[in-house]
Amino acid sequence: MTQSKDKTIQQKISDLDALVAWFDSDEFSLETALDKFKEAEALALAIEKDLAGLKNDIEIVKKKFDSASE
Amino acid sequence: MEKIRFSVSDFIAVTNQTLEYAYPSVEIEGEVASFKVNQDKFVFFDIKDSGGSIGCFMTVWQLRVPIEDGMKVIVTAVPKLTQWGKFSLTVKSVRPSGEGALKKSFEILKAKLDAEGLFAFERKRTLPPVPKHIAVISSVHAAGYADFIKILGDRWGGVKVEVAQVQVQGTDSRDQIIRALEYFNTRDALPEIVVIIRGGGSADDLAGFNDERLVRAIASSRIPTLVGVGHETDESLSDLVADVSAATPSNAAQSIVPDRAEVVRSVRYKIQSVLPRILQVIETQKAIIEERLQYAFLRTEFQYDQTAERFYRLRRVLDQLDPGVVLKRGYALLRGDERVGGEIEIETYKAIIKAKVQKYDAK
Repeated sequence: MTQSKDKTIQQKISDLDALVAWFDSDEFSLETALDKFKEAEALALAIEKDLAGLKNDIEIVKKKFDSASE
Repeated sequence: MEKIRFSVSDFIAVTNQTLEYAYPSVEIEGEVASFKVNQDKFVFFDIKDSGGSIGCFMTVWQLRVPIEDGMKVIVTAVPKLTQWGKFSLTVKSVRPSGEGALKKSFEILKAKLDAEGLFAFERKRTLPPVPKHIAVISSVHAAGYADFIKILGDRWGGVKVEVAQVQVQGTDSRDQIIRALEYFNTRDALPEIVVIIRGGGSADDLAGFNDERLVRAIASSRIPTLVGVGHETDESLSDLVADVSAATPSNAAQSIVPDRAEVVRSVRYKIQSVLPRILQVIETQKAIIEERLQYAFLRTEFQYDQTAERFYRLRRVLDQLDPGVVLKRGYALLRGDERVGGEIEIETYKAIIKAKVQKYDAK
């Protein structure tokens, strides 16, 4: 499995969705629920941290468009 | 003063040189008359007002907006004396003038492109939900561009934004935007969306976005297009042909990326939604255990009652068998030698009496 830090936000959100879905699935058991909950909580915090740190990379194209020949 | 003698051709050439020097490019406003297209290549019309009329010539390629007789236009042209001595304007560009003409031109082209299916819903492509690479075509000095970049950054991050700096107003703007579209469409790493944005303006300012060649360039883009031009009330043909149209540049940014604040809220909601589920399961388990305990208690109580009942029944039987109970009712127990003269012992409830047998009659 890919390490959490290497995953994109979208992948982490998908992982969180899967974890949350487990709580509503037939596989749910109280014995493992606490571990799963802690895992989901850590993932949610990681997503929030990633979101807060994201910046866009803006690059002005060097090419000039005022003449067809350039 | 010495008179200068020209040949006809030289005079025409000198006149044209003089005209070119005096009026290298003029803008003339007037009404279109006698509009016609020859061989699908050459456009002829007159531009006139109440005081005069001048013949105009241009190529179909240069005619970027539909015009018709009676329409008020502004032509950008070079005045010229032809070899047949006729004065005319060689038109470089023509654009409708005034709200009525702009609207008329807009409606003609809209109907034509609509008939070709360029605005059809089936042609619309969906934008990727979270793009990583987008292209923006705009003027970096425009307020609309600044709004777009700010809102894009506020809402999301991690997006590579390539910006093509173009004019978004004036006759050159159309070709610059077309070239920028071609540039992005021929990149090795294609952006996932190409966004064309410009803030609001007058109908004349936004007229470039109704240019037929620009509209066709947007329609043929390999990259899904998003056009956010003008204010909410403005509608251009570029908006209509784009895969997605945004009312303003700010709305364009909102259409492209999710809002990180909403994602955070959603993530927190997901975590919170798990807790009731756990509590519900715990409550259910607790109820099951309580129910089972209650059942066990009731069974124990039942078994106890059953046992106690049996015990009391046996006890009653035992009581019936107890000689003491019989004695209590007034009977006596007799033990000893029953023969006449023999000694016997009589036991009553209250005493034990010794006696001798005086008579014995068998029954």
